[in-house]
Formats: sequence, C-alpha cells, structure tokens
Amino acid sequence: MNFDFNQSEQTFLKELDTLLKGINCKNIDVNELLKELAKTDYLKIEISPFLMAAMEILSSYTQSLFLSIEVSTRIFGRIISNFGNDNQKQTILPGLFDGKLIGAVALSEDSMNIDNEPLKTKGYREDDFIIVNGNKSYVVNAGIADYFAVAGRIDDKDAIFLIEKGTNGLSVSDRLHTIGYDGTSISNLYLKDCKINETNVLYPKLSAIRMWENQVLIGATLGMMKASFESAKNYAKTHKTGGKPIIAYQEIGFKLAEMLTTLQTSQLFAYRSCWLYGIGDKEADIVTYSAKVFCGESAEKVASDALQILSGAGVLCGNPAEEAYRCSKYAQIAGTSTEISRVKIGDAALGRL
Amino acid sequence: MEFAFTKEQLMFKQEVIRFAKKEIVPRVQEFDLKEDFDVESFRKLGEFGILGLHFPEEYSGGGADVVTTVLAGEALGEAGVDGGLTLAYGAHSFLCADTIFRHGTEDQRRKYIPKLAKGEWIGCMGLTEPDAGSDVASMKTIAEKKGDKYILNGNKMFITNGPVADVAVVYAKTDPKVQHAGISAFIIEKGTKGFSAGKPLIKMGVRTSLTSELILQDCEIPKENILGKEGEGFLMAMQTVEWDRSALLAPFVGATRYLLKKCSDYSKKRIQFGKPIGSYQAIKHKLANMRIFVEAAHSLVYRIAWCKNQGRPLNHLEAAVAKLFVGDYSLLPSNDAVVLHGGYGYCHEYDVERIFRDGRLAPIGGGTSDIQKMIISRLI
Ligand SMILES: Cc1cc2nc3c(=O)[nH]c(=O)nc-3n(C[C@H](O)[C@H](O)[C@H](O)COP(=O)(O)OP(=O)(O)OC[C@H]3O[C@@H](n4cnc5c(N)ncnc54)[C@H](O)[C@@H]3O)c2cc1C
Ligand SMILES: Cc1cc2nc3c(=O)[nH]c(=O)nc-3n(C[C@H](O)[C@H](O)[C@H](O)COP(=O)(O)OP(=O)(O)OC[C@H]3O[C@@H](n4cnc5c(N)ncnc54)[C@H](O)[C@@H]3O)c2cc1C
Repeated sequence: MNFDFNQSEQTFLKELDTLLKGINCKNIDVNELLKELAKTDYLKIEISPFLMAAMEILSSYTQSLFLSIEVSTRIFGRIISNFGNDNQKQTILPGLFDGKLIGAVALSEDSMNIDNEPLKTKGYREDDFIIVNGNKSYVVNAGIADYFAVAGRIDDKDAIFLIEKGTNGLSVSDRLHTIGYDGTSISNLYLKDCKINETNVLYPKLSAIRMWENQVLIGATLGMMKASFESAKNYAKTHKTGGKPIIAYQEIGFKLAEMLTTLQTSQLFAYRSCWLYGIGDKEADIVTYSAKVFCGESAEKVASDALQILSGAGVLCGNPAEEAYRCSKYAQIAGTSTEISRVKIGDAALGRL
Repeated sequence: MEFAFTKEQLMFKQEVIRFAKKEIVPRVQEFDLKEDFDVESFRKLGEFGILGLHFPEEYSGGGADVVTTVLAGEALGEAGVDGGLTLAYGAHSFLCADTIFRHGTEDQRRKYIPKLAKGEWIGCMGLTEPDAGSDVASMKTIAEKKGDKYILNGNKMFITNGPVADVAVVYAKTDPKVQHAGISAFIIEKGTKGFSAGKPLIKMGVRTSLTSELILQDCEIPKENILGKEGEGFLMAMQTVEWDRSALLAPFVGATRYLLKKCSDYSKKRIQFGKPIGSYQAIKHKLANMRIFVEAAHSLVYRIAWCKNQGRPLNHLEAAVAKLFVGDYSLLPSNDAVVLHGGYGYCHEYDVERIFRDGRLAPIGGGTSDIQKMIISRLI
C-alpha cells in the first residue's frame, strides 16, 4: 500500500501543469497540442494511477482536446500497438504520438450501445479483399482522422476494420453540434462497400476497447471537477458580499467542502480502479464501472455547484465550470453508460441468479 | 501509488471474519433487542486480540500496524457484528486506551494498557457535555488543583461505555479563562468518590453499546492522574481523530459489505411476478449503489490509516473528507437495503433495519457532518 506518487511522477505532474499553463488551449488544434505533449512522456504512460493523475491535469485545461487526443493516442493507438502487425505499427504509431496522424474509433451504431445490440457493420470476403458496409454514430475525431478503427463483424466474429481516410465508400457527416465538446470533431461515419486488405482486419476484444474508453472518460471527469472546484474556490475567496468573501457564508463554504470531498473521493476511486486494471485484478472491470458511475455523476454535481457559486460569472460562456457542466453529461452516456454499468455491477453482486 | 494489502493482512482479515461469525454474531440480535452490552462478546474480542491489536506485545497487545488494525474493524462489520459492539470497541481501544498509551507515563501505561488490551477492564472517554458538543472548547467541567489532588466538577454527556467502564479518560478545564488551551485530560477509575455514571440512554441505534452521562461531583483524584501536562488535553483529543477517521469508520464500510451480501442473497431467493427480484434492474441499481459506496469509502479510510502508519501527522482535510463521505453517503445504501427487503426489511430478523439504525450515528458521532464541512471550508 502506498498512497503517494513517487518523486519522478510528482515532478512530471508539476511539469505537465506548467507546460499546459503556458499554452492557450482555446486557440490551438489537436495536432499542435499533440506536438507539445510529445515533448513529454504524457502519451507513453501505462495504465496506472499515475496515468489518471496525468489525465486529470490535461482535462482540467481542455475537455475538447483531451477527448480528441485520448481517443487518437490512447484508444486508437492501443488498438494498433496491441493488435496491429509490424507494418501497421511502423507506419502509424510514430505519427500518432507526434501529432502528424490522428486516429478515430467507431464502435457505436444507431442503437449505440455495443453492450446491448449485436453490431450491424459487417465485412465479407471478395477475392483477397474485405468489403465493409455499415453506419457508425458519434465518432470522435471523424472529421480530422487519418485512420479509422471501425468495429464490426466478420465470419461471425467481432473485428476491427482499419480503414484509411480517402478509402472509396467512406464518408463522414457534417460535424454534429453537441452540448459539450465544442472543440471536438464529432460526426457520423458511413461505410459503403469499403474495400480493405485482409491484413487490415484486427481481432481485439471489443470489451477491452470499451474499458479503455471508460478509463479516458473517468480521467475526463477528474479534470472537470478539478477545474470547476478551483474556479469556484478562487471566486468564493475573492468575491465579496456584505463585506465578506462569500466563502465565509456556510451556504458557500460548505458547498465547497462537499465539492472537495467528492473530488478527492473520485480521485482515489479512479486511481484505485486503474491500479486494479493495471495488475490484472479480477475485480478490475467492476471497480472501473463503479468508478465511472461515481465520477460521472459527481462531475455533473460538482460542476453544477460551481456554477451556483460563480452565479452571474458562471452563466457566462467560456468559464471552466460552464464547460465542465456541459461536458459532464457525456461521461455518463458514452463508454459504458451509467445505467448499463449499474446493471453490470448489480449482476456481479448477484452472481448466478 | 498502489493499494495492495499484504498476504498476512488479508489472511488476518479472514480470520477475524471467521471468529466474529462464530463467536459474536449469533448473539447480536438478542442483545440489540435487549438494548444491552454483551460483555461476553467484548471479552472474546479481548481474548482474540482485537482490543489491543495495535499496542506493543510487552503491554499485552498484538503489535499490529495501523492498516491491519483498521482492517480488523472492517472485518467485524463485514462479518455482521453490530455497530454497538464496534463502537464500544472503538471508544475503549482508541478513545480511551490509546490516549493513555500515547500520553501516559510508563507507570500509567503498565497499570492500564495490559488490562484494557485483554478486555479485563473496559474503558471510556468523556469529552462531550450536555451543553458542549460540537463546540468542545465551551466545556464547563472544571478540574481544580488542590495540593496533591485535582477536584473535578461537571457533567459529561453521550459517553459510550459510560455505565460499564472501569476507567475513563475525562477532559476538563484546568484554566477556564482560556478556550482550547485550558483543557486537560485525566484518568478516573470507577469507584472514585464523586464519580458516577447516569442511566443508559435509550437510543435509536448502536444499542448494544451503553451510553450515559458521567457525573463528577467534587470528584477527587491524585494529581498523578493527569495525562501529560495541563493544557495539553485538546491536542490529545485531536490525536484520537486519526483513529476516529480510520478504525472507527472502517466498521461502517464493512457493514455495507455485509448489507450487500445480505441483499444479494435475498434478491436471489425472493420471487415476485414469477421471477427472483434480483432479475429486476431496480434491484440491481440498489446493489450497485452499495458496491459503489464501499469502493469509494475504502480508499478514503485506508488513506488515513496508511498515512498514520507512515508516522505522518494527521492531514485534517483528508480526515474530514473521509468522515464526511462515510457519514453522509453510507445512509443511502442502508436505506436501500431496508426497502429492498420489503416488509421483512422493516422487521428485526433480517438485520437490515438494525444496520439502518446503527448507521445513523455516522454523520453525528465524533464530529457531525456540518463540523467536517466547517473544517474543510476553513482549510481550502
Ligand atoms: C458526444 C459523443 C461522442 C461520442 N463519441 C463516440 C466515439 O468516438 N466512438 C464511439 O464508438 N461512440 C461514441 N459515442 C457513442 C456513445 O458511446 C454512446 O452514446 C453510448 O455507448 C451509449 O449509447 P446511447 O445511450 O446513446 O444509446 P442506447 O443504448 O440506446 O441507450 C439509451 C438509454 O437507455 C439506457 N439503456 C439502454 N439499454 C439499457 C438496458 N438494457 N438496461 C438499462 N438501461 C438501458 C442507456 O443507459 C441510455 O440511458 C459518442 C457519444 C456522444 C454523445
Ligand atoms: C451514540 C453516541 C455515542 C457517543 N459517544 C461519545 C463518547 O464516547 N465520548 C464523547 O465525548 N462523546 C460522545 N458522543 C457525543 C458526540 O460526539 C456528539 O453528539 C457530537 O459531537 C455532536 O455534538 P452535540 O450532540 O452536542 O450536537 P450539537 O453540537 O449541539 O449540534 C447540533 C446540530 O447543530 C449543528 N451545528 C453545531 N454547530 C454548528 C456550526 N457552527 N455550524 C453549523 N452547524 C452546526 C450540528 O451539526 C448538529 O446538526 C456520542 C454521541 C452519540 C450519539
């Protein structure tokens, strides 16, 4: 047992924070931010509590770019590094990690939750090629991606079809306008008779990809809460009414206390779920679902409380709490939704009925 | 950062669970209904080594580290031991015995710790007063020095183990003119002239721990019975907070594990509309919330324990966070557990109503949730 990050991890986290403080994340695109991050070890961190702490810092500066970067490097990148062949690794991975290439992962379809419905996207063989047909919904990075990892079925098996931008039959919808993530390219994806090489069919476990997605979303919620809490706290200490800073009123001070309690609980929850996953514990999936439910719902509450404290200043667009509030819903919906997560946690508690 | 227990710790936890299920749990319902302290169970805790777990072996303790000690508290809850007995244990071992051990002279240690560690004697701690709870510094109990004696006058309120204690650590003002710095701690033994306990209070929960007033009426004790020096009492009380936020919270976490198991077993057996109720998502939702609470609270409690193990001074913010979370968030799972059992949940036999009642102490005892929020809001 050890509740501390080691010295080098602590130094890294401080340096990452300093780096990001110096960048205006509202005026920079994914590729540029990736180039900055490539100067650090951020993109190389293995699944561990330290990864969560690093994600928290990045996502506290920018929700939109965080999601885009994580989907491209952590989720798409892991699909290639864990399941791709040597050639794919050599042509794709270096570009992903220095911001020259962007990846997207398309799991969801019109009934979007892959946990509930069999996938309709299908590949069939024709000569030495695979022909892929299907529609994908809400794909992060769709408009900017160079490569798409598209989940579907072939030979009655789950598979990932690796499809390059510009492939005949691949088209991307207009950008979807979503409640949060205004800086993320999110679109639907259509595949009509897309022809790919057999080597571009990979066979990862789709549930593992969902779990990585869940971890990214948990990391996102930590940043939402941190940014919301910090902005509300700073405001409460400086903004005065009745001759006192508003933190001196219990209605405000106690709200901040609850917010910090929720943030700290979420942090430890996230760290521990990631630690369990990293050591391959058999409870890792269930604890990750648990953490995702807790952190997702907490993020909305903490952001909402922050807005309450920021009051007039909070309803103005562009402040961190307002952004977090809008993005927080997503963490409860995307990945394994809070409803599906609770059902899975309940099922695990019951064992066989 | 890593969260692993050692193999020995995990094995010990299982041993405690086995012991408690066999030796203690079978009597829990009976004593809760009688609203009586189960002396036999308490002595058994002593024989098994729980009461003195963290004291050095030379004082008849178990020499265990803090994390193991906290794990034992969680194990008692998980086994189904009621909140009354775990509170009696907490007040005895940590609020009373540990304060004597940490701040007492070698003579005081030798005299009290072995007896308390073995459970031959029962200890209690008196801080709260009828008119001074959250506002500790406003206490009215006075200790006046006269020659080689202290004369104590005042009343203490809500004192766990009060009616059964052989020895009490009592806080009183040696200098009523000042606030915190005027508080000192004293050891008072049962039978001391002018020292008595009131009748046990009738309580909503934790009923197998007896709670009463302590009455000090010209209570005379030798001046050697002071713990440490005059004016150090408040710090001593604050130091017990380390245990209060770890070892005394752990049974609530364990009890929720127990609830989860009970509820899951019940959900599999109970058939309504032709199906086990566990097949309904609304039931799974409740089970999930119990699990989520357990996993969330776990790390908060063991963070306090681990930091104490490292010999670090208590982080008051983290301690208040743990207390506030466990206090407030443990209420929902115990409420859900009652509802999940339907009408049976409302009846004593199924344990869940008792755990519901016991759990209501969590946001009150040892500093209310409001006070935790006050501490946190001052520290941020
Ligand atoms: C902004 C945004 C970006 C996204 N980016 C991506 C991406 O990059 N790649 C990708 O693959 N996907 C992406 N998604 C899709 C996301 O993963 C899905 O929205 C998610 O899987 C949940 O599906 P759904 O709730 O939208 O649909 P549904 O599954 O239809 O669920 C509808 C509602 O019913 C509940 N529900 C459904 N079935 C059950 C059941 N059996 N029991 C109990 N409750 C149930 C759900 O929890 C939900 O509340 C994105 C979504 C959004 C909003
Ligand atoms: C079963 C049981 C066992 C106990 N065992 C012991 C024991 O062994 N030894 C011991 O010394 N004590 C013991 N206590 C006492 C316990 O610690 C106190 O009850 C607790 O600290 C609260 O004090 P109080 O009851 O006087 O409430 P009060 O302090 O009077 O508080 C009343 C209400 O006002 C709120 N409040 C108070 N001040 C403020 C403020 N400034 N801002 C906002 N809200 C405020 C509180 O949160 C609470 O809701 C025990 C209590 C119980 C119920």
